[in-house]
Amino acid sequence: METSSSAVASPKAPGPGGSPWHQNAFNRERLMETLRGAARLGGLLAAVAVVMAVFAAASGGKFLYVDNLLGMLRYMSTLAIVGLGLTVVLIVGEIDLSFANLYGLAVTVLAVSWMVWGWPLWLSFVLTFAVAIAVGCFNAFFTAVVKIPSFIATLGSSALIFGFTLLIGDAKRFSPQYPPDGTHLPAGEVSFFSGLANQKLPGDLPMQVLWMIGVAIIFWVIISRSMFGFRVKAVGGNQAAARLAKLPVVKYKFAAFIIVALAAALAGILDVSFIGSVQPDSGQELLFPTFAAVIIGGASLQGGRGTVLGTLSGALLLAVIANGLALLAAGAFVQQMFIGSVTIGAVVLDLFTRKWRRDS
Amino acid sequence: MTNAGGVVIRGLRKRFGDTVALDGLDLQATPGEILGVAGPNGAGKSTMVRILAGEESPDSGDIEIGGSSWSHALDGHRVAVVHQEPQLFPNLTVAENIQVGRESMRRGRPRATGEEVALMQQLDIAGVSGVQLELLPLAVHQKTEIARALSRRADVFLFDEPNSALTEDESEELFEWMHSLARAGSVVILVSHRLGEMAAHCGRVCVLRDGKVAAELSGDTLRAEQIARELVVGVRQTAGDPSRRVAARENRPLLATHRWTHRGGRFHDIDFTAAAGEIVAVVGVEGAGGRELVQSLAGLQRADGTISVRGKHSGRAATSHVEFVGADRHDSLFTNLTVEENLVVRQYAGIAGRGGWLRRKAARQLAQEARAKFVVKTQDIDSPIRSLSGGNQQKVAIAAALAIDPTIVVLEEPTRGVDVGSKAEIYGLLRDFSKRDRAVVLYCTEFSEVFDVADRAVIVSSGHILDTVDVWRFADAESLAEHVTALTVRERERSPAIRDDGQNLSRVTDTKGQT
Repeated sequence: METSSSAVASPKAPGPGGSPWHQNAFNRERLMETLRGAARLGGLLAAVAVVMAVFAAASGGKFLYVDNLLGMLRYMSTLAIVGLGLTVVLIVGEIDLSFANLYGLAVTVLAVSWMVWGWPLWLSFVLTFAVAIAVGCFNAFFTAVVKIPSFIATLGSSALIFGFTLLIGDAKRFSPQYPPDGTHLPAGEVSFFSGLANQKLPGDLPMQVLWMIGVAIIFWVIISRSMFGFRVKAVGGNQAAARLAKLPVVKYKFAAFIIVALAAALAGILDVSFIGSVQPDSGQELLFPTFAAVIIGGASLQGGRGTVLGTLSGALLLAVIANGLALLAAGAFVQQMFIGSVTIGAVVLDLFTRKWRRDS
Repeated sequence: MTNAGGVVIRGLRKRFGDTVALDGLDLQATPGEILGVAGPNGAGKSTMVRILAGEESPDSGDIEIGGSSWSHALDGHRVAVVHQEPQLFPNLTVAENIQVGRESMRRGRPRATGEEVALMQQLDIAGVSGVQLELLPLAVHQKTEIARALSRRADVFLFDEPNSALTEDESEELFEWMHSLARAGSVVILVSHRLGEMAAHCGRVCVLRDGKVAAELSGDTLRAEQIARELVVGVRQTAGDPSRRVAARENRPLLATHRWTHRGGRFHDIDFTAAAGEIVAVVGVEGAGGRELVQSLAGLQRADGTISVRGKHSGRAATSHVEFVGADRHDSLFTNLTVEENLVVRQYAGIAGRGGWLRRKAARQLAQEARAKFVVKTQDIDSPIRSLSGGNQQKVAIAAALAIDPTIVVLEEPTRGVDVGSKAEIYGLLRDFSKRDRAVVLYCTEFSEVFDVADRAVIVSSGHILDTVDVWRFADAESLAEHVTALTVRERERSPAIRDDGQNLSRVTDTKGQT
């Protein structure tokens, strides 16, 4: 999982090549680090398998029906897209509680500008992403410039965003198929929009899974293969050192908050395209599962750690749990309790694995 | 206060991993005297303070107070440690700070007892007893700490660098307090880098080296110069080549400041230069402004005036060619990154591809080169950074800054907490770097370090430059130490306590906000 310890293996050391420290191929520390990473990811996937087996047994096999698994994958895609954005924020050492309400704001802005104001769809998209970027900048400004803790800054902006969403959407639902009275949406635009998440794919694979894979590749490049990802890891790992080394700390925090905002907006648009209707509070139930997924996936609340593969696995586990519980008709209340427990459990797990790393 | 016999420390030992911090320390302090404890960094002073404060426990050896064996767990309140930054509760009032932990069990808010009120009156803090501590100056914090200790019947007072953030007046008052504590029969121990004050106020000074008492000065031998000399005796010296040191002076200046004044008031009107090929050490005790000065040269503290680096004027453009490595390794290394990543973390152009890609092969190549060039001893550059020894971690921190080839590199105490071998290697690296038409600026608190590596020493006292000396003119570190200390002491005598050098508390806190 550690991005650096793989791939490029060039043992030819320039300079005095005969240094005894370098020729010692076996390195306990490094091996341990790799093993810990592998154990975490392996353990996570094993947990997924166990939970799936339990649900399969408890539901009398219904859990394993193809339709059910595909629906689960669709939910996982939403969690993963938002979660990958959140991963970047956690790596840089901050937290974002506003992405769930931003999801609702983004789709409301899209719906209102497209269906009520009669804007062309492409312009509505531009506005939606511009709003997302603005919210990201807002969060980053109060966190990195005004320097209030991101927990408070984004808790506040979350409420602010939700109020604003209700205000501009008048707390209404919108649907492209049934636009408000007196508006006519061009048929081409409507079919393009619903086509974003509803293309017929081989094996009935949900279109959103493809989006997730695309987004995951982009995030993998950002986190593991770009200067930005490398330096963001450094900033999150030790902010004081990053400042003394003159890394652009403030700029990277802006970037991280903008990235999570864009990810949340994208996830919202795809969900609306699939479901066919917009609700102002539709993102709110994503907040805890997304956090749980990202933390379980190995991103640290202390900053400096987080991987694409980890977050994807965490999203898979959370999707399995949510879907399984729904299938067993456990009811919304039990599901809430479960998600709460998993979130706390994930943070406890984070704490203990960090302790373990330090002590061993 | 029955305290016959005072404090007797016998054979105190403490090791941290491979480092021996205390190696059989024997120390006696009798009631009524002020005992000074001096020593270079790493000599064991702070370990001794931490053991007496109960923050560490010794591996072996024992401590007696007033004739009976003492340990912090049994009788911790007898020993009061007054730190440079008192460890109190800033959100509580002065009176509450004195009471906290032993409030009377009556219902309602605790009220100060008569004795506590009397104590506060004695210490002249009764007037502010109801004010939150964080709104009051540092001197009041320290008095509160003394009052708190007195109310707990403490009879051993350990002052650890207590006045580095106080004004001259406040320092004088603090010293008066030390004397009156001693007169009242308490044991008073002062740990400090300020040798002049130590010579003036202590009856006896013990100099620690390598974890034990190396010299004891009292009576006629107790002079600041003599303490300074003892501090550097026996430190292995690696003096460089004097011809180069002279030559460096004739080169053009790479860095120059004019009327350079700290916005937080820690230094003012500094004209500082560093020439190509030169290693300049800024020397001064904590609180004299030297640390803030070197940080401002790297653009990390705000200052007004003009600065130019290689002909580029004005703040940011100038300081962008200056790299900085702090004294504390926690502030220069990234523990979540590997050795390789730490080595290249300051690189940009060297490892960035088109469109912001990370060129991993280039990064690895550069890291390998840096590892070899800066003799970082590691099995594998993919290891986590914490797997390295302290000396090697420090080399990684310095290598990361030197590897991007800045015009000037600024380092604070570059060999603090580093073994002798790594020390010599680090000095070698800095010399090699400066030879390539670059300059190195150091902030040093140890004369042995100044003598070993610097070409020129700029002595800072109370926020201005006292003098500049050519290090090569001195035969050994002892004479350098003696000379500089004499200068500082003379300066203090010439302008006694009244000088307002602007170090009041609000400014100190401002500075902290920026760091």
